[in-house]
Amino acid sequence: MTGHHISTYKTLLGVGGALLILTLLTVGVRYLHLPHPWAIIVAMGIAIFKASLVALFFMNLWWDKRFNTMLLLSSLVFFGLLVGFTLLDTLYRPSIIPGF
Amino acid sequence: MANDSTATSHPKYHLHHFVDAEQQFDSAKMGMWVFLVTEILFFGGLFAAYIVYRAWYPDLFTEASTELNTLLGTINTIVLIGSSLTVAMAIRAAQLNKTKQIAINLGITILLACAFMVIKYFEWTHKFHLGIFPGEFYTYEGIAHPKASVFFSIYYLMTGLHGIHVIIGIGLMTWLLIKALKGEFGSQYYTPVEITGLYWHLVDIIWIFLFPLFYLIE
Repeated sequence: MTGHHISTYKTLLGVGGALLILTLLTVGVRYLHLPHPWAIIVAMGIAIFKASLVALFFMNLWWDKRFNTMLLLSSLVFFGLLVGFTLLDTLYRPSIIPGF
Repeated sequence: MANDSTATSHPKYHLHHFVDAEQQFDSAKMGMWVFLVTEILFFGGLFAAYIVYRAWYPDLFTEASTELNTLLGTINTIVLIGSSLTVAMAIRAAQLNKTKQIAINLGITILLACAFMVIKYFEWTHKFHLGIFPGEFYTYEGIAHPKASVFFSIYYLMTGLHGIHVIIGIGLMTWLLIKALKGEFGSQYYTPVEITGLYWHLVDIIWIFLFPLFYLIE
């Protein structure tokens, strides 16, 4: 078997270290009590960055065939459709159904 | 090439319907990615429920999340990140034919995954003790919001489904460990380690989102 990417210790430990620091950062930011929209934006921004690090360097998408990256991105597109169309309903109801 | 496959000897892991071991490896990996797409959409339904309810009851989420223990959540996040690292190390060890290191890294991964579930067990039983159950079984009176049970129903469903994935992961890692101890993996063949690794990393990614969404709401 040729052509399989073998990650160096430096890459693996570097990514692991970055994930650790970002975890502590996202916990720390919580105690800054950022104003309303920013707390969730910063928390999700850090989470997306961490998830990207895992996908690119632990799941090897950086070196892998692009088709697998396309599969991952397509799942996110369909998740976006699911959330988008659901919110078009639930956000614009005159009142929340009491049983919900 | 295809016609002389019966004439040439090939390793036992190479199945006859693949051109070569490389194509077999790539197909297995692509198949795993397709499965991970279904997993993302499986969890996606619950994430959609979270988004809908958080948009309806923003105050509920801020108030109810104070019941969750941020320290335990942080420790669990670090534990899972560590286990993702050791899985990646196990794959590297397989690629370099270091059979002993494959087993060591898989062993550490299993221990970390078990540590995650033990912490989760303590978090859940503490809540059960307070009467924080999902849905109609909710009896806790410490949160004034009338929809308090909704938050915890979503919490139990999402962390519960994630926990089931961790338990399945422990089973898979144990299976890999047994095969690794028998010396079945090396640079020529490590497909099960690779694709189980992909599954485990996805379980880590799901937790990376669950952690701030439940524990870090302000």
